[in-house]
Amino acid sequence: MEERGCAVDTPASRPVARKNKSYGRSCVEAPSYFWQTPGQLTVLKLPTTRGAAKSQIITDKVDPEHIALLLRNEWKLSYVTPLHCFRHNQLSSYAKHLSSFIVAEKQQGVAVEVGMDAGFKVTFTTVPGLAESDVDAETVFIQIQSKPVFAAADAVKVVWRGWLTCVNGDPEYLRSLPADFVSLPLFFTNGPESLTTLVKSWFGRTFDANFGSLPLNSSTLNWLAALWTGCHPTCNIRYLKLAWRLQSQPVLDISYTVNPQDAWELWNSIHTPESADDQIGEKEVQAFMNGLETHFFRHFKIHLSAGRLLTVSTSLGSAHHDGKIKIGNSEYITTLLTLLTEYALFKMPT
Amino acid sequence: MSKYACANGRFGFGVWFESETAEAKESTGERQQTTKCRHEMADALNLTRSVNERSFESESSATSASNRSLRLAEKEKKRGEADPFAAAVSYLSRVKAGTVVRGNDDLERNILVVETVAVSKGLSPRVVSVLLDLALSLNAGTTNCTRVLKFLIPATVVPQEAIVRGVSWLCVGKLPMNAQVLFLRWVLTVFDLIDRKDDLRAIYGFIFSFVTDETLCPFICHLLYLLTTRELVHPHRVRKLLDIQAKTGRQPFLTQLLALYKVFRPDLVTVSLPSRMRTGFKNYNSTWKVTLSAVQKRNKGEVSVDHSLTLDVNEISLSRKRKRHHLAIPSLSSAFDSSSGKKGLRLQEFHSFAELLENIHNIELPAQMGSMLGSTLALHYLDCVQDESAFLRLNFWLGHSLQEEFLLCPADGSSDNTSEAGHFLNTLLFSQQFLQEGFSSTESFLYKFLSVWDGCLLRPQILDLLSDIPLMPSFYMNKLLFEPLKQLYFTSTLFFKCSVIECLNSMLMKWLTWHSVNASEGSLDISLNSTSNMTMTLSGFMDSVMELVRFVGLLASEGLRLENCHVLLLNQTLGFYETVCDMFLKYSLPLIIMPPAGVFYPALFSIDSISVDRLGYIMYRYRKNLTLAKQQKQRREQTFHISRNSYKEFNRNLQTMVNSMLISQWCIPGSELELDSGLIAQSRIAQPWCCFDIIHHPALFSYAIEFHRRCWPERKEMDLESIKIGKFWNWYMEFLFNQGFDGLKDFIMANTGHGSLQSQEERKSMLQSVH
Repeated sequence: MEERGCAVDTPASRPVARKNKSYGRSCVEAPSYFWQTPGQLTVLKLPTTRGAAKSQIITDKVDPEHIALLLRNEWKLSYVTPLHCFRHNQLSSYAKHLSSFIVAEKQQGVAVEVGMDAGFKVTFTTVPGLAESDVDAETVFIQIQSKPVFAAADAVKVVWRGWLTCVNGDPEYLRSLPADFVSLPLFFTNGPESLTTLVKSWFGRTFDANFGSLPLNSSTLNWLAALWTGCHPTCNIRYLKLAWRLQSQPVLDISYTVNPQDAWELWNSIHTPESADDQIGEKEVQAFMNGLETHFFRHFKIHLSAGRLLTVSTSLGSAHHDGKIKIGNSEYITTLLTLLTEYALFKMPT
Repeated sequence: MSKYACANGRFGFGVWFESETAEAKESTGERQQTTKCRHEMADALNLTRSVNERSFESESSATSASNRSLRLAEKEKKRGEADPFAAAVSYLSRVKAGTVVRGNDDLERNILVVETVAVSKGLSPRVVSVLLDLALSLNAGTTNCTRVLKFLIPATVVPQEAIVRGVSWLCVGKLPMNAQVLFLRWVLTVFDLIDRKDDLRAIYGFIFSFVTDETLCPFICHLLYLLTTRELVHPHRVRKLLDIQAKTGRQPFLTQLLALYKVFRPDLVTVSLPSRMRTGFKNYNSTWKVTLSAVQKRNKGEVSVDHSLTLDVNEISLSRKRKRHHLAIPSLSSAFDSSSGKKGLRLQEFHSFAELLENIHNIELPAQMGSMLGSTLALHYLDCVQDESAFLRLNFWLGHSLQEEFLLCPADGSSDNTSEAGHFLNTLLFSQQFLQEGFSSTESFLYKFLSVWDGCLLRPQILDLLSDIPLMPSFYMNKLLFEPLKQLYFTSTLFFKCSVIECLNSMLMKWLTWHSVNASEGSLDISLNSTSNMTMTLSGFMDSVMELVRFVGLLASEGLRLENCHVLLLNQTLGFYETVCDMFLKYSLPLIIMPPAGVFYPALFSIDSISVDRLGYIMYRYRKNLTLAKQQKQRREQTFHISRNSYKEFNRNLQTMVNSMLISQWCIPGSELELDSGLIAQSRIAQPWCCFDIIHHPALFSYAIEFHRRCWPERKEMDLESIKIGKFWNWYMEFLFNQGFDGLKDFIMANTGHGSLQSQEERKSMLQSVH
């Protein structure tokens, strides 16, 4: 059945079976929820419950120097489709190619020999230990340094950083990918947009990967607010800052800072840890946010739910709806990355 | 080695190839090496020439030297006189170094003879070889060198050895610069006519050594560009070119050559071509172009240059101004990961379908699968690709592009971007139509997009893409396709309604065609996808088709009601039912679905004659299909069952049509369409049952009047009833059929046995016997 009548004879006179649906597969699930991978449908939904954030001494697993790199900066988020033929053992050759690619792109029309030091130095490093499950690929950290031609050797300056990661990615989805794909769905960047574009374009040409922006919707931000607040007893979150924007005339920007203890008490009244694995439900998160909004309404007579949640920040980190994120504390990094990985996989095209 | 030795032994090539291979191994001291080699080459040439001359003597004026008889020599001489061209060539081949050129009338005369022939008929390979040698050896002087080169028009092909010898003359280093340039330009012009290129590739290193020459560099780069294969790209050559680039700045010819090197060895060099610099090398062949093409045309172009199926890279540069990146179809490029053992050919290397076919077992997929959509040649190959991850890559890219452009991007600036988006979708459509199949990311994109689409943005493209949606289980059709489409349909203009019906018609046709191709292979189960375990049984397929037809029936009848039975919509609908009525005969799908009353009656009582005619055709085809099904049933051949309801519905519709059009009767036994006689009486129409017969039918009324006027031009008062009498009825039928009402003709012929019956009574009896 798979063969069509019009089998073609190749020069080796081997009849080639022509596939019926060789260009992909029919998709017959509610489309916003399915993933198409060969051979099966993998239904991918954003989970409605999650484990509460657990403190974890990540520096036991991961080099503290590496962790320090991830903590300092504000990162812009993107999603990445799976990388084709990416190998963790070829990072040095990738570094050479990326640096010569950047130079060649900066000087249009001038050919550049691969492996020559010219203006930029790129380093690729793995960050072992950040991956949680055995199907997660190891995190890759990329750093670009500029080396002005006439400057002294120590004038090297880091101009761009970025990393690709996957933490607790949906195992069913990851397993369903063919072996020559590596899925690192989450891409963090920090540096000039022009370099980010070049790096993305290089990944596109080399690994046939596609990048898309990853704005955080309010449901993700709500989750973060609740998860971070839940950490207060073990690790002082110092404040819970939320920012809304109301599209009224004129536009109303509202910054709402909650005392951490008050926030935790509200959360504690909603969420009661029942079992050992301490699951948080979507409804609880919504109730928590509703509680905060009701409180605000009581004082200012403004329905925050009419606006858009822009930012959530605590001392553990901050997240902006346009996809910028800052990580403040290494202990809860896994929770944050798990949430973001889920979201990136969800946002990816099918 | 031995091959060269015997093929070109008399030119003493053996030595050179040895040195070439040595040169390739020794990368660092290439320059010194090459110079040394050049000297060797020149020495070899001197040696060669003596051999050469000897051989020519033995060829052309052999007889005098040999011990053949004098008689033969006489004959030869006579023939030489009879053919001045051969004599001239023979003379020119004997011109030795040191010949006096100035005032040498013999030389002048002979060159003139050859020149005349050359520009009118072209020169044979042997003569090209002789003359090139004459010119480049400077035996006939510098002026004649350029002169000869300028009329060196090959009639068929150029022998490779001539070019190789020319290059060796270049190595001697005596040629003046303008002659060197002229020679290279000539080689570039006739490059496609050179019979073989393997020896030229063997002396690639020699040719390469000339890139250091500032004047020759552009031409040498072009020649190298034409000769380069993957094996010839070495790190030392890359470095050399980069050195020159550092000295001379960015030169288009250098960049082009380096870009080609990048195609073969992306692990060595990288370059990004500015959008404007995609035109390649300048056209160097203006000197010979006109004459050459004239001569080639005259010689019927046995060796013609075929550029019909090339990769279209130029097109991409047109839309460089785009703001967003994701709508670009990437250009074909190869991953630098060439070290991994797989060394197939790259798609960029192919220029014709024939080349592709020859190497189809050994082709490397491009680094970006999306780039394959840009070229027909690549699509040919994509059709044979069986690699799962390749399609996954393609779908990731496509899904990403579509999603970023149409689903995620905010509304800003979407209007000025439409043409670009349209261009993208057109490319996508072209690819899908080329492959006769839709991509799965397009499909899933459409399901998402339908719910947010305004029915206006890029309507033609979106609807075309929609019609490419492959078959799916009926269960999902409603949710994914019909619900959003229904909302758009009922809230949009008439034109949109027509487009939707047309789109669904084309979708149905694609499904049916696909089914008929698969069904012919004997099995009735249809696998939706070779890789998935999802299959669809024949009954599942029929359910889907039924669902689609039912849905269109609903859209059409409601749409016709809303739009007051607009003629355009009615015709689109009838077009759809033309597909439906023939499903059994044309596509061997044992399924017969009649149009709903909301479609049948508006068509039957339409005031537009085309609709009535089409309805006639549809009813005729239904009859054919049902008859065939019945015959098969009687012969017990069939494994399927056509429901009695279909027969019943058809009979009822047929009877209605026959009654109202042919026998002027309204009573339809068992019909749900029983009109209250009181109601008809209220309308005060004298003979209501005659209103829709073939004479009084509003769509045909004007024809009846016309016919009446022609039959009885003298009559003042119109009496249409008289048409029904006797031979006039037959004439009227013939008159109608001659107006192009083929559908009605088929319908009437099929339902009355023949086109003309003597009287109405007879017609009635005949018709009843049919049922």
